[in-house]
Amino acid sequence: MTFSLLHATDFADRLLYKIVPPLKAGMIVLADRYTYTAFARDVARGVHRQWVRDLYGFAVRPDLAVYFRVPIDVSLDRLLARRVKLKFYEAGMDMGWSANYTESFRIFQTKVLDEYDQLVEEFGLQVIEAGSSITDQQRDFRRLVSENLETPKS
Amino acid sequence: MTDQRPPEDSGAHGGVTPGQYYGHGLPYAAIDNYPGKIIAIEGTDGVGRSTQIALLREWLEVQGYGVVETGWTRSQLMQPTIDLAKASNTLNKLTFVLLYACDFADRLEKEIIPALKAGFIVLADRYIYTAIARAGVRGVDSLWIRRLYGFAIAPHLVFYLRIDVDALARRVLESSGMAYWESGMDMKAGDDIWDSFRSYQRQLLKEYASMADEFGFRVLDGKKSVNSIQDELRRQIGEFLAESASPRMTA
Repeated sequence: MTFSLLHATDFADRLLYKIVPPLKAGMIVLADRYTYTAFARDVARGVHRQWVRDLYGFAVRPDLAVYFRVPIDVSLDRLLARRVKLKFYEAGMDMGWSANYTESFRIFQTKVLDEYDQLVEEFGLQVIEAGSSITDQQRDFRRLVSENLETPKS
Repeated sequence: MTDQRPPEDSGAHGGVTPGQYYGHGLPYAAIDNYPGKIIAIEGTDGVGRSTQIALLREWLEVQGYGVVETGWTRSQLMQPTIDLAKASNTLNKLTFVLLYACDFADRLEKEIIPALKAGFIVLADRYIYTAIARAGVRGVDSLWIRRLYGFAIAPHLVFYLRIDVDALARRVLESSGMAYWESGMDMKAGDDIWDSFRSYQRQLLKEYASMADEFGFRVLDGKKSVNSIQDELRRQIGEFLAESASPRMTA
């Protein structure tokens, strides 16, 4: 619960200082993770689904939300290739599911990905399969963003 | 977002059985049939809460009850952060509210729930009502804040020490003096701390008053002497403890 609330505090701070002012100025805000990360991660940690959605009721709904979906094995390979050790919280070690970082990561991230799958439907997230090449992903991403920018907002 | 659910579906509100979660609670922490009790003492700054709690603690312990005290912003995790954030000038109403909630969540999980499980009496120096009052004064949506605190446990007893602004102002001046935050200087009502203190505390008192019925506060006159308030607290707490099944002795 404290994990969830600390992240919400951080988000509220960034929302009011870094997100809302540029929006008022008519700029594009690129957010590397948004409230959906909290919805997936906090619920995987056992926080109530509706409570965390209510908590973030103060957030601005994004014009476009893109979810880069990747199988657990691919994300593990990428993370382990880049650095030696998984981080404590990203592996969900606080939950005490396993003393083994890789095993705990699998258990935790499986729950997180299940939550994301629900979010795709609930919030209409656009999915990009992130197992493909960076170039392909970027092309898809650019297409989605262009379409969104061209669509006049009511 | 349009949301038609009534607040009682998930938020803090009256009518909840004491010792149960107000709303969704902590899904991973079942608290049913825990033998402990929560007794909250509410009231604005300087009304004499900590004096009363110290006296209550002694009285309860002499009778053989295990007592745990928990106080606003005193969580190990959050106190340094909250102090730091108050010292800088970057807090806004949302981050202010959320830091308090985080402090409360930490104490709930680490202090209050374990104590209830072990059959202690938890004396809470302020409870969620202080957060709701402060948020209300700062214009935070009242439904949102109640849902936020849906993870809190409804106390068995809530005492509210009521005082008027004039008496309060004199009391605060006699002790520590008027401080920045308890004078609501962040609300930028003006540079004069006296005016700001009075207007801020007056608004706070209004918020507390509006919650008294909602949450079933037992209202005590905070202007009475320390001893007469203590006698009244002991009388009501004694009655309550006699009525409820005698808690397991843990000490």
